[in-house]
Amino acid sequence: MRKRISAVALLGIGLLAVGVAQNSRSSTLVYGGDFSDLISLDPGISYEFSGGLITDNLYETLVKFEGEDLSTLKPSIAARWAIKDAGSSWKVTFNLASKKFASGNPVTAADVVYTFDRAIALKGNGSFLFDEVANMKIGSTKALGKSTVEVTLPKTASPAAFLNVLTFNIGGIVDSVLVKSKAVNNDYGSEWLKRNSAGSGSFVLNRWDQNQQVVLDANPNSSLKSKLSRVILREMKEANTQKIALESGEIDIAENLTPDMVKQKATDNKFNVYKADSLRLQYLGMNTGAGSLFEDAKVRQAVRWALDQDSMVNVLAGGNARKVQTIIPAGLFGFNASNPYSVNVEKAKGLLAAAGKPNGFEFEMLVPQGSCAAGVPCSDLAAKIQSDLGKIGLKANIKQIVQSELLGIYRAQKAQMVLVGWSPDFPDPDGNATPMSDYGAKSLAWRNAWNSPAAGKLAQQAALETNSTKRAGLYKQLTELHLEEGPFAILYQPKVPVTLSSNVKGYLRNAQGQVRFEKISK
Amino acid sequence: MLNYTIRRLFFVLFVVWGVSLATFFISQVVPGDPALVALGDKATDEMITNFRTKNGLDQPVVTQYFTYVGRLLRGDLGTSLRTGRPIIDDLRDFFPGTLELSATALFIAALIGIPAGVLAALTQNKAPDIIVRLMALLGGATPIYWLAILLLEFLHNKLRLLPGPGRLDAYLIAPPRVTGFVGIDALIARDWEVFTDSLTHLILPAFVLGAFSSALLARMTRAAMLETMSQDYIRTAKAKGIAQSRVVIKHALRNAFLPVLTVLGGVLGGLLSGAVLTETIFSWPGVGRYTTDAAISLDFPAVMGVTLLAGVAYSLINLITDLLYALFDPRITYA
Repeated sequence: MRKRISAVALLGIGLLAVGVAQNSRSSTLVYGGDFSDLISLDPGISYEFSGGLITDNLYETLVKFEGEDLSTLKPSIAARWAIKDAGSSWKVTFNLASKKFASGNPVTAADVVYTFDRAIALKGNGSFLFDEVANMKIGSTKALGKSTVEVTLPKTASPAAFLNVLTFNIGGIVDSVLVKSKAVNNDYGSEWLKRNSAGSGSFVLNRWDQNQQVVLDANPNSSLKSKLSRVILREMKEANTQKIALESGEIDIAENLTPDMVKQKATDNKFNVYKADSLRLQYLGMNTGAGSLFEDAKVRQAVRWALDQDSMVNVLAGGNARKVQTIIPAGLFGFNASNPYSVNVEKAKGLLAAAGKPNGFEFEMLVPQGSCAAGVPCSDLAAKIQSDLGKIGLKANIKQIVQSELLGIYRAQKAQMVLVGWSPDFPDPDGNATPMSDYGAKSLAWRNAWNSPAAGKLAQQAALETNSTKRAGLYKQLTELHLEEGPFAILYQPKVPVTLSSNVKGYLRNAQGQVRFEKISK
Repeated sequence: MLNYTIRRLFFVLFVVWGVSLATFFISQVVPGDPALVALGDKATDEMITNFRTKNGLDQPVVTQYFTYVGRLLRGDLGTSLRTGRPIIDDLRDFFPGTLELSATALFIAALIGIPAGVLAALTQNKAPDIIVRLMALLGGATPIYWLAILLLEFLHNKLRLLPGPGRLDAYLIAPPRVTGFVGIDALIARDWEVFTDSLTHLILPAFVLGAFSSALLARMTRAAMLETMSQDYIRTAKAKGIAQSRVVIKHALRNAFLPVLTVLGGVLGGLLSGAVLTETIFSWPGVGRYTTDAAISLDFPAVMGVTLLAGVAYSLINLITDLLYALFDPRITYA
C-alpha cells in the first residue's frame, strides 16, 4: 500500500514538474533572428536595429508610438506635453506620469535630465539625434520640480522631429540613481549598462551571451504588464536554420526566412506570416550636376516612365514590398501616396527627345554587392533596371562594387547613377525630406548635385512647422516637386515578412522595427 | 629536443611577422574606406576626418604598419570596427566555442576515420574496403552545408533524436562563464542538465564537421596501412606467429601513423581557424562566424586578428605534430 502511495506521489510530482515546465514554455517566447549587429544594450549608445528591438522593451520613453502607427504620438512616461514658442527658442514641457523603474526607484524629472545629458555626453552613434537633429546641448533639459521637465530647443530645430526622436532608443529613460552608482572613470555607467538594464520598460535584461542569445524577464515593477514571463532572442543567421528551428518548435518567431520559405509557410496553418512595414526606400540616384547626362529634369522623368516597378515589387521582391514613388515612406506623417508614373516607353522616349537626347546615351550605374531591400539581389535588380532603361535607349553599364566603395564615390558627387537604399534616422518626415531636398545639408540632394532652392526651403519650413495641417500641406508640395524635378527614382519600399507559430498572438511590428513584447502571448 | 623546440618557437615569430605583413598590406589594397565602413552612410565629413585621425588612417602606409606592429607587440590586436570591442576580447569570447567544436569533431573524425582506414586496408578489394572507399568518397564530396541541413532536418526536426542549433536549449540558461566552455562551466556550476544538454548539442555539428575529416583520415590511413602491411617486418612478425591484432596495432598502425598524424594536424589547424559553414548553420558562436561577420562588414582589424590567430594555431600545431613524430617513431630525434 505504502509503495502504491509513493508511486502515486511520484507520478503526481512528475506530472506537476511537466506541468510547470509546460507553463514555463507557454509563457516564454523564443524569437529567432540575426541579431549580430548588437553591440551594446545601453540606450544612450545603442543605435542598431537589434539594439532598438531590445532596448525598446527595457526602457520607456517620454512619448511613444502605438501599434503600427508612426504618425500619432501617445503618452508614455510623459502624461502630457506642450510646445511653446518662446521667441528665440522652443520650450517643450513634459509632465511625468507616476512610474517606477525595475529597481523600485520612482521615475523623476532628474532621471530625464540625466538621460538626455548623458546621451549627448556619451557621443554614441545615435547622439547626433539630440545634438544635430534637435540641436540640444548638455543643459538644454531642466527639471521644473519632481515631475516636470522642460527642454529648450533653438529655433533652428524642429520640435515635431524632436518629439519623434524621443521614441527612438536614445530617448529611453534610465534610472539615474542606479546608473550613477555603476559609473566608472566618468563613463556614465556605460560599460555596466552595455550588459545590464535600468529602465521602467516591461522587461529587464537577464543576460546577453554575445552571438548566442539575449534573455529578457518580465519586469514586475513596470506599469506595462506583460503576458509573457520571458523572451529569448536566439541568434540564428541562416534562413534554413531558422526554418528548421521554427518547424521543430524551438523558436516561435523567425525573422529572416527567404521569400520562398515565407510563401510556403503562408499556406501552412501551423504558421502565420506577418508583413511589417519598413521605412526604407530603394531608389536610383541620378547626378544632375552641370553638364551631366541627367541634368535635364525631363531625362529624369523619362527614367521614371521607363521603370517597371510592378515587376520589381511582385516578381523580384515576391510581393514583400510596396510600390511608392515619393520621398517620404508610407507610414510616416506626410506620406504622399501618389504614384503618377507607370511604364510608358513612348512618353519616355518623347521626353528624351525633348531634352535633346533622342538617341539616348550610355552611362555607368553603380550597384552595391549583396542584397538590396526586401532581400532582392542587387545584381538582379540592376539587371531589371538595365533592361527597362534599355527600352528607351538608355544603356546602363552596371558596375558592381562593395557598398563602402560605392558610398565613397557617391558622397564625392562622382557617380552618374547609383542604386542604393535610404532609411530615415528617426520616424519623422524630416528624416528624408531634408537630406533628399536641402543641398546645404550635404546629404543625398548634394550627392546627386541637385540644388533646388525651392525644395530646400520647403523642407526647412516643413521641419519647423508646428501646425500639423500646415506641415502636411508643405510636405505635399515638396513630394510633388520631387516627382517632377527630383534626382531620385524611388523603386519600392520593402516589407519585412516575419513568420510566427500559429499560437503566437498579439505580435505587431511598426515600420521602425519596434515590437512590444508585453502585448504578445502564446 | 628542447633546443629544437625553442628554435621552432622562434620560427613561429617569423611566421606571425609574415602573416602580419601580408594581412596588413592586403587590407590596404582591398577596396572600401574603413571610416565609411565603421561610421556608415550617414556620417558627416567631420566625423570621417576625426575617425581617420583617431585611427591613424591619415598617416603614410609604412607608419601605419609600424604602429600596427607596435600594438601587436604589446598584445593589442586593435579594436573591431563592427563590435567596437578589443579584438582580443572578442576572440576570447569566441575561441572556446570553436575549440570545443573542433576538438569533438577531430575526436569523431579519428574515431571513425582511422579504424575505417585500417579495416579497408586489411580487407583490400573486398566488400568492407569497397564500402569504406565509397563512404570516404561520399564524405569528401558531400558539401558540409548540405549535410548539416539534411541532418538537422531529419535527426532534429523529423525524428527529434538530437537537439537543433545553438550550444544549449533556448529554455536553459548557460552557467556563469569561467572557462568559456559551456560543458566545463556547467560542471563547475554542478548544473547537470546544462552539462548533458551542451554535450548533446555538440553531437550534430561535430559530426558534420568531422565527417569530411574522417573521409580524409580513412583514405590516408588505408594507403599508409597498405604500404606498411607489405613491408618485410610485418611478414616476419606474422611468420613468428604473433596474433593478427598485435601485428596490426603494434607493428603496422604505429608505423603507418606518421602520415596520418600529419593529416590530423592539418585538419585541426583548419578546424581551429574557423568552421564557417558549420558554425553559421548550427548558430554556433565561434571564430568562423565571427570571421564571416567581420569579412562581410569589411571589419579589417578583426579579419587581420583572426588571420594572425590562424597563423599561430597552424604553426603551433605543426610544431606539436613534429614533436609527436619522435614519440611514434624512435628513429626520429631532434637536436
